[in-house]
Amino acid sequence: MGTFNYNEEALKNLEIEDTSILDSLVDFEAARTTHLKKQRSKTDKRVSLQEAIAEYVHDGDVLSDAGFAYVRTPHQAYFEMMRQGKKDLQAIGAPNTNQSYMINYGTVAYSHNSYIGAEMRGTDRNYGRQLKEGKVKILSEWSHGGVALGLKAAQLGAPGLFSKQMLGSDIIKYNPYVRVMQNPLKNESDPVLFIPAIYPDVAVIHAQVADKYGNAFIYGPVVNDAALAAAAKRLIITAEEIVPEDALRQGNGKKGIVIPFIYADAVVELPFGAVPGNMPGYYYWSRQWWEKTLRYASPKEENFIEHINEWVMNTKDQFEFVEKLGGAKWIAESRRQTKAAENDNEDVDFSYQEYQVDNDPGIYY
Amino acid sequence: MKSDTPANLLEMLAYMISLQIEDNSVVYVGTGLPMVAAILARKSHAPHITIVYESGGQDPIPGDMPWSVGCPLTWRKSAVLMEMAYSFGQSYNGYVDIAFLGFAQVDMYGNVNTHHIGDSLLAPKARLTGSGGNNDLSSLTENMVLVGLQTPERFPERVDFITSVGHLTGGSSRQEAGLLGKGPVAVMSQWGIYDFEPVSKRMRVKSLTPGIPFDIAQQTTGFELLKPEEDIPESPMIPEDILNLLRTEVDPRGVFTTMPS
Repeated sequence: MGTFNYNEEALKNLEIEDTSILDSLVDFEAARTTHLKKQRSKTDKRVSLQEAIAEYVHDGDVLSDAGFAYVRTPHQAYFEMMRQGKKDLQAIGAPNTNQSYMINYGTVAYSHNSYIGAEMRGTDRNYGRQLKEGKVKILSEWSHGGVALGLKAAQLGAPGLFSKQMLGSDIIKYNPYVRVMQNPLKNESDPVLFIPAIYPDVAVIHAQVADKYGNAFIYGPVVNDAALAAAAKRLIITAEEIVPEDALRQGNGKKGIVIPFIYADAVVELPFGAVPGNMPGYYYWSRQWWEKTLRYASPKEENFIEHINEWVMNTKDQFEFVEKLGGAKWIAESRRQTKAAENDNEDVDFSYQEYQVDNDPGIYY
Repeated sequence: MKSDTPANLLEMLAYMISLQIEDNSVVYVGTGLPMVAAILARKSHAPHITIVYESGGQDPIPGDMPWSVGCPLTWRKSAVLMEMAYSFGQSYNGYVDIAFLGFAQVDMYGNVNTHHIGDSLLAPKARLTGSGGNNDLSSLTENMVLVGLQTPERFPERVDFITSVGHLTGGSSRQEAGLLGKGPVAVMSQWGIYDFEPVSKRMRVKSLTPGIPFDIAQQTTGFELLKPEEDIPESPMIPEDILNLLRTEVDPRGVFTTMPS
């Protein structure tokens, strides 16, 4: 692995004394060694979600978020990590946004931040509270594009990239990995930021369809997942549906990208794997669930624990979660909503009553 | 559906933001008022703009208001759906003309804070979202317009954390730091539109919302606002036909243009 030359000012600002905790994220040699050992032949990699998480997510791992906050994001896999009592994970992503519920249960103990929260649903007060109580330690700060470039560098097979992002900001004073340098090609002063290639230890990517070997088709925003699939040391593919390999050769009738089977360690058939987020082609957000989480649960610890216990810890799997959201009626309506939003069906009325504590809707559209 | 009531502050702000958009430009927006403004601009004075969204979509088939920056309504039937790295790369390569960014705090040089309130990142008074794409767009896009509510806490002399560099410490310090583009060219709040004095790069009043005197703007600012040499003009009022367009076609459900009760 060698040793790494971290930014001293950032280490001081972040109060990081033992830098070994930072190493795995940038350990290219470990990534390459792990990748060299992966199964090359086309074998049936299907396992249950329980088995995949048990085997491939290890305590202390750097776990990258995938999708786009709550668009094609593998929430159900994160819930399984919590149920299995995984510990001390480092959360990274662009955004790294929905892991605050993982902190309360000790599943995530460190964060590499780029964006925390759920947009107009409100500030994630739970994260702030966990930070204050010392339940999560910040290991680095980034912009979205900074993380994107770190992952893209890994996918491109480059030790790092130079960027103009984050220069002059306070973000780089809290990032041990990046370095301001002079552009070697210019004679005049031309500061650039070196961003190293990053290799999360594990990632779960939720695809619309995959075959049993691990070829995975993504439709809709790819965000960072093409790069993440190549960079992650260990990769679990979950998919709404498992299809024959031939369907992926034909392109599934939609525009999208395919992640190569040789990257996947495990394949999980996981309908509703991105619930309660949006899964392009399959379901719209449960908007009221996010509002309840951010506005009712997040501001107070006991509300939050009650809420997450109800929906995650005391729920067996994604099917029970969907039953609680509203079951078949919810499935039909949210499918219609996303297809309308994607212009694959006539427009629907997107009006709804935002979640209010004293008027719980029962079905969480 | 709203009746024939006069324009509220959000509707006025949406209109003023839309005026920042020139026709035939490429515009980057997140959800919220800037998106409303971009759609309004395209339906009125700027029919040839290309709207770029954080999901990676460009120029989607118009529809209802997106619920999120990643909502399918921001990428529906978009011919292009870029990965995040390539989307920001577009800004770097000179293909994006203007971006609209929000702020929790903005200082006299247009530096933006969306990280935290208080002295310490590790032990803040309040932890906020962090950068998201704010810093990226800020560092790379040719023109930036900052949009947000004006209060003394939100317009301090120095922000508690520089998430995104505006004009840094004034003068040519932004360019010397290595950043691209002109930086912030305007700040828009409920009280008015501000620009930056060309040499010092300090925030300066450009126009005030009709009915708002300069003193109100200054009292809700934590530093000395520069005044232009001439009289301060009024910001343009939203014309009735544009208001109608906004209410019937752009945001008929009032998702982003209804005043919070």
